[in-house]
Amino acid sequence: MNKVITINLGGNAYQLEEGGYDALRAYLETATTRLQANPDREEIISDIELAIGEKFRALLGSNKTVVVGKEVSAVLAEMGTIEADSGEATRAGAVSASAAGGTGASSTGGAATDRPPGSSPKPKRFYRIREGDMIAGVCNGLAVYLNIDPTFVRLAFVFLAMVWGTGVIVYIVMAIVVPEATSPEEKAAASGNPSTAQEFIRRAKEGYYEAMKGFPDRQARREWKRRFKREMRAHADQWRFNWHGWGPINTPVHPGMGFALPFLSLLQGMAKILGICALISLLATGAVFGKALPANVPVWVAALLLLIAYGIIAGPLKIARRACYYGMGRPGWSWPFVFLMDAIVWAAVVAILLSLALVYFPELSDAVKSIPSLIHQAAGDIRSWWK
Amino acid sequence: MSVNEKFSALRKGLLEFVVLQIISAEKVYVADILNQLSGTEFATQEGTLYPLLSKMRRDGLLDYEWKESEAGPPRKYYALTAKGQEQLQETLDYWEKINGTVKQLGQK
Repeated sequence: MNKVITINLGGNAYQLEEGGYDALRAYLETATTRLQANPDREEIISDIELAIGEKFRALLGSNKTVVVGKEVSAVLAEMGTIEADSGEATRAGAVSASAAGGTGASSTGGAATDRPPGSSPKPKRFYRIREGDMIAGVCNGLAVYLNIDPTFVRLAFVFLAMVWGTGVIVYIVMAIVVPEATSPEEKAAASGNPSTAQEFIRRAKEGYYEAMKGFPDRQARREWKRRFKREMRAHADQWRFNWHGWGPINTPVHPGMGFALPFLSLLQGMAKILGICALISLLATGAVFGKALPANVPVWVAALLLLIAYGIIAGPLKIARRACYYGMGRPGWSWPFVFLMDAIVWAAVVAILLSLALVYFPELSDAVKSIPSLIHQAAGDIRSWWK
Repeated sequence: MSVNEKFSALRKGLLEFVVLQIISAEKVYVADILNQLSGTEFATQEGTLYPLLSKMRRDGLLDYEWKESEAGPPRKYYALTAKGQEQLQETLDYWEKINGTVKQLGQK
C-alpha cells in the first residue's frame, strides 16, 4: 500500500503515488531552475504542467484513479528534459547535452535525480499543531516534525515527566516558546512538503484566469468556472485530509462502515465523558471513581497517567472512526447522513447523561425545575423594563 | 561519429524552421506538432518544444489562443503571425539557396 498525494495540474486534480509525486516535484523544480533566465518561465512551467496533466488523464479511467510511480517516470521521460532557451546558449555543455536529448534517444527519467544543488526541499519548521492535540499541540507538532506517531512523543513526554517532572517543565517551556501553526503556509512548513501544494494552487489559479480570458462566450466561461471550483474543493478536501490523516488513507469502502460509525462515535463519546469525569473527580477529590490514590503518588502524575490511559483507549477508536468516516464519506452523498447520525448519537449521549444527573443529583433537578419560573421572571423583568 | 550525431546541432537549429512550417498549415496544439515530428529526424519532446514556442512567441513569430477541448481543460492553439509567415518564406528561400549551393559545389 502506497500513500497517495493529490496535486493540481492546470486546474485539474490528480492523485499520484508518493514516489511519483516526488519525481514530478523534482522535475518541475529542475525545470524552474533551468528556465531561471527565461522571461516566460511561469508560462512555460504552467504549459508543461498542463501537458503532464493531459498525459496523466490518458492513463486514468473510471477504474483507475491513481497514477503510480512508474507511470509518472514514464510520462516525465516522454516529456524530456526542459531546455534552457536555445537563444542564450552560454553553457556549451548544457546545450550539447540537451541537443542529444532532442533526438528523443537519451533517457530523461533521470530528471528526478539530477536535481541541482540548492533546490533541496524546504526546511521543516517546528510548530505547535492544534488539530488533534491534547494539551497545546507541542507533542503533535513534534511528531509531525519528526514524522512519527504523536502517541510515541506523548509517551516520551510522560516518561520524562516521571523523572522529577522534567517532561512537564519542557512541555510548558515549549508551549510558550514554540509558535503555533495557524496559516496554511506555516502548516506546510511544519510538515515540510505540502508547500508545493500551495504553489500548485497558486499556479492553477493563474492558469484559471488566463484561460478565462480566452473563452468567447459566457456559457463556456461558466462551465470552466464551475469545474475549476469543484476541482479546487476536491483538492482542498484531500489536502485537509492528508494533513489530519494519521489514520489509514486509502480505506476500501465497505457498507458496514456506515453502521459501525455511530457505535464508534458512541464509544468515543463515552470514553471522552468518562475521561473528563475521572479527571475532574481526581482533581477535586484525589480519587478516581472512589478509588483513592496510593499515598506516595502525587496528583499530577496520576492526572498524566489518566490522560495517557485515555489516549490508549481513545486512540484506536479515533483511527477506526476516521477510517469509517472517510471510507464511506468519500462518494459525497453520504456526508449529510454521516453528520446526521453523529448528531443523533451525540444528542442521545447528552440526554442519557442529563437524565442520569437528574436522578442522582437532586439539586440539579431542582435547578432544572426552577428554570421555567426563572424564564417567567426574566420575561417579566424585560417587559417592565421595556415599558 | 555517425551522421546522426554530427548533424544534431544542425537539426536543433532547423527545429524552429520546421515548427514554423507545421504551424503555417493549420492551427495546431503542442501534441499535434509532436505527432507530426515523431518518426522524422526532428522528433522531439515537450521539454524542448515549450521553451522554443515561448521564444518564438516572444520574437513575434506566432501567437496562440485558448480553445476548449472535448475532454479535459482548454488547450493552446498556435498560429503564425504575419511576421512568422514572412520569416517562414525567407527561411524557405534561404534553404533552397543553401541546398542549391551544396549540390552545386564540387560539380565542375
